[in-house]
Amino acid sequence: MESSVKRLDSDAEVPPEAFDDYIVDLDFHVNPLEDELLEYVDDERAYDKLTTEFGATPVMGKWDAAYGIKEGQEGLFTQGRAKYAEDVEEACEPLAIDEPIVNPGINNLNLQHHPVLKNAVCQAANDYMLDHFADEGMYTSMMIPKWDPDYAVAEIERVANENNIVAAYSWFDPKVPWGNERFDQVFEALVENDMPLLLHGSLAYWPQHSYIGDDMLTWTEVLGFDWPIHAMVTVVNMIMRGVFDKYPDLDVVIQEGGHWWVPFLRYRMDEFYEMHPEDVQITPRKMESGDRYLEKAPSEYLRENIYLCTQPFALPRNAGDAENLLDLSMAEDMFIYSSDWPHQTLDPATWFYTSRAFDDNTREQILNGNATEILDI
Amino acid sequence: MVDTDNFTKVAEVGDIPEGEGEGYDVNGIEIAVFNTGDDYYAISNRCSHQRAPLCKAGDEKINAEDTWTGERGGLNAEACTVSCPWHLWEWDLETGEHEASGQRIGTFDCVVDGDDILVRI
Ligand code: FES
Repeated sequence: MESSVKRLDSDAEVPPEAFDDYIVDLDFHVNPLEDELLEYVDDERAYDKLTTEFGATPVMGKWDAAYGIKEGQEGLFTQGRAKYAEDVEEACEPLAIDEPIVNPGINNLNLQHHPVLKNAVCQAANDYMLDHFADEGMYTSMMIPKWDPDYAVAEIERVANENNIVAAYSWFDPKVPWGNERFDQVFEALVENDMPLLLHGSLAYWPQHSYIGDDMLTWTEVLGFDWPIHAMVTVVNMIMRGVFDKYPDLDVVIQEGGHWWVPFLRYRMDEFYEMHPEDVQITPRKMESGDRYLEKAPSEYLRENIYLCTQPFALPRNAGDAENLLDLSMAEDMFIYSSDWPHQTLDPATWFYTSRAFDDNTREQILNGNATEILDI
Repeated sequence: MVDTDNFTKVAEVGDIPEGEGEGYDVNGIEIAVFNTGDDYYAISNRCSHQRAPLCKAGDEKINAEDTWTGERGGLNAEACTVSCPWHLWEWDLETGEHEASGQRIGTFDCVVDGDDILVRI
């Protein structure tokens, strides 16, 4: 029999079926070069200080976790480094990503000491993204400072109405969780501008400033579990403290905070709340409204207001188990595909085509349905 | 003299630059062939972790000059391994093994016969 031999010269890196689907990627990182970013700082005094030898983010995130990565710190750029829209387009093509939602992932910014300089970097990042991405027709999430809710609102008012700005990007971390009432003005501005709040894991609070974190020595503990713990706490805090009763139209997306914990939260929150709901009335928002209870079972807010990015998916290999877990995790209502390009934890959309766990509807909801529901795209 | 029965020609010497790999579909089976300088090695083109195409290992990164390593995974000729372009799992080109997970992917005999690179599927 004649052998058939073909050179594989296609650029495609994911299964062919992926190119037939509409894929929205809600966590695509852009990494501007520092000097190009700082050119966008408006305030001359801030610019002067940010361009000293200390740079824009002088306090480094403690990155012990990189010992777990073959190329160490290079894990941040395993796939490359996107500076402009054309770089993103080039990266998305072989991965069948149709709609990357880009963010300026300066994830150690909230660790920095100086509030004025941090705000200046935030302003510069938003203007850089407007110039190089939003104005080039690419959907962009603007950055908002968690450390300064007043300034977050001012930035939302300045930037949110620009074309192609579709979400606000900030962080969950071990500091003040987002259920705190100080963030109400931010929620109000987001709802008014019809933008979801994307909360990403923060390099800034990697194992430091917390006793338990300081004893985490491995990548598996730190990225695998430290972030999800803070993500879970953030979500429960927002639900139980009545954020979504006050702002029912607010959508929150957790990025890189894990997703298979949904069944745990879902059943445990409801059980605990139903047994002992009497303290809800003395939380500040309920004190103000005079309501005694939450308006819904806690798990309902999970389904309606919270979304979780899927990367890294870590799908059980057994398709039956995976299907059950997707179902228990309300994946159809809560999961949104994300690649995390260009990091070591990259998640191309292969799972959806190599596992029999997904029916057409679940696959579509994760790849685009949930994202298009909350983003104006 | 190599007994080349049951081998299939996939390329010619010079087609695969030293230190790099190329992907081929041989009768529907995807393989990646790497040139370590001393030898050629053929391995399944699909990483068992998440099915990245191993023939892309060593491709230049986007804006490589602004990263530290410049390439996505790649061939380590001395260790006779290739690291996957997506998450850098390191595959032994002789045994097809990924040491940390114990997973194994297919490897194929690969010989040079004159100017031809042949693989036994
Ligand atoms: S797909 Fe190869 S290491 Fe993940």
